[in-house]
Amino acid sequence: MTNLSSEEYVRYNRQIILPEVGEEGQKKIRNARVFIAGVGGLGSVSAYYMAAAGVGYISIADRDRVNADNLNRQILHHSQDIGKPKTASALEKLRQLNPHCHIRAVQEDMREENIMELVGDSQLILDATDNAETRRLLNRASVSKHIPFVYGGINGLNGMVTTFIPGETACFECLFPHKAVEKTSVAVLGPVAGLTASVQSMEALKLILGMGGLLKNRLLYIQCSDMTFREINIRKNPDCNVCNTERRGMI
Amino acid sequence: MSKYVDVIINGFKEKVPEKASISFLITHFKEGDTDLIVEHNGQFVYPQKYAGAAVSEGDRIEFINPNFGG
Repeated sequence: MTNLSSEEYVRYNRQIILPEVGEEGQKKIRNARVFIAGVGGLGSVSAYYMAAAGVGYISIADRDRVNADNLNRQILHHSQDIGKPKTASALEKLRQLNPHCHIRAVQEDMREENIMELVGDSQLILDATDNAETRRLLNRASVSKHIPFVYGGINGLNGMVTTFIPGETACFECLFPHKAVEKTSVAVLGPVAGLTASVQSMEALKLILGMGGLLKNRLLYIQCSDMTFREINIRKNPDCNVCNTERRGMI
Repeated sequence: MSKYVDVIINGFKEKVPEKASISFLITHFKEGDTDLIVEHNGQFVYPQKYAGAAVSEGDRIEFINPNFGG
């Protein structure tokens, strides 16, 4: 791997001096490829942290345009962005933050037909979608490509995060095998999105750096009403139609 | 006459029929979310096991609504 430039040493100094990162870790971050599914409340924060940390290749996808009622939590988008495609607004801010990152922005709905192409050769998926159906697609791409899927979700004053690793942990559909009834316009306070996406971003960087201590088979449940963080122990579901390979062969 | 047992549901003491299943409790307590997360004595219960999972005296059940917003 090419050595770090003097500019990189300065820019990333505060993380390079961490024993868990160091020069080698920074090179891993520079070579990392991350797919961020959505640049709304969660994606605003995770995309910002990925770019700030110097992730070399960031792919983002979103179908929406910026609305005024997004701005209480979607901190990548500013008042003058109302009406713009979210990926264009995100691309502009991320480039301003860190012009060294290669960013691919796709203004498209994530569907069964395009999800594999959108995820491409990314080494991990950061979930920042706003519905269970798209998460099912991301989960299937994760299982099929054998790459980690860092799930995050928010609702009201609560957030949830876990890291699904194919072959090692439960998958999204081990937990949620039903088709969820979609709820639109979920209530949320901005910091709930920030907190949840920050935990996800930490998981992503740990995965890139090859660190342990991940939220594997642990669903972190954050309740901001009384500021409690608790874990729900989960396991692979033997009846899962997605990650249980024997059953997959049957369907 | 069926016997009743005390269980703790989301932190509250409730009387439910002995050997009631998780499926029964979901209907009884009107937990409407299809993608509910259920913990039984600290263990995650797979949705496929709701019908067969029976509760006993003193059991702790948590119904948690999943967060799918972003």
